[in-house]
Amino acid sequence: MSSEEVHNRIPMLRAERGVSRKELATALGVHYQTIGYLERGEYSPSLYLALRIAEYFEVPMEVVFSLKPFPRLGSEPK
Amino acid sequence: MTDGRKAPWRISQAEAVQMDILPGWYATRGRRRLLAATGAFSLGLAWAMAGVVWVAGPDEGARWIVLTLLAVMLVIYLPAVTLMNVATRGMTALTERNLDERQVGERLRATAVAHRLMTRLLAALACLTLVVGLLRGREHMVPGSTLLYLSLAVALTHFVLPLIVSCWRMPDPPPDDEDEDERSSSAGGGAAGAPGIGA
Repeated sequence: MSSEEVHNRIPMLRAERGVSRKELATALGVHYQTIGYLERGEYSPSLYLALRIAEYFEVPMEVVFSLKPFPRLGSEPK
Repeated sequence: MTDGRKAPWRISQAEAVQMDILPGWYATRGRRRLLAATGAFSLGLAWAMAGVVWVAGPDEGARWIVLTLLAVMLVIYLPAVTLMNVATRGMTALTERNLDERQVGERLRATAVAHRLMTRLLAALACLTLVVGLLRGREHMVPGSTLLYLSLAVALTHFVLPLIVSCWRMPDPPPDDEDEDERSSSAGGGAAGAPGIGA
């Protein structure tokens, strides 16, 4: 399953927009624990849910989800 | 019962499983597994009742043993099933429309595992019946009361096994938002001044 891992920036986007887990869950129509499992990388969303998450944050899908780990802040080349 | 009549029951059921009743009993994976084991033990008592009726037959002493087992089983079964339903947030009890895609997926996996376990259990029961038949001769008949209790045990196991499996498999749920908020506020008020992602 680890080879099928999907990395995401949901916690970062949530913190940046000041959206709670429950608010996001309500907007997406999922259980709030599902958001937590998504953030912890313990659940990979369906394409439909991934698209809805990207739509909610008004960003392209590749900004939220990636097959490779996102670079840590400050570790990107100058 | 029509779908319209069921609606209030379904709504109250969906709300009930979201309430944190005795959260300490299912807060950790170990405790949830203990809860699942308790549920399985209560099912074991249902099978034991059938066994007692089969071995002892229609005996006055056996009847009291069966009644005692039934009482003990209900005392364990009812709270265990209630707490397992709350722990899994009604994953196996609610209708699909009340669940999200992760919960539906988890329910399918739990049902598949329970189905495999149930198949093995039924195969073991068939083998046991065959062996007893061979040992006692062709004239041996399984009494009707034994069949009744066996049916009860099989039905109960079939009904509850997916719940036990989902409770056993369930990972620790993520911490509540309040904890997260406290952590982020203590870390400097989040990323309000940071450039927006994707902006």
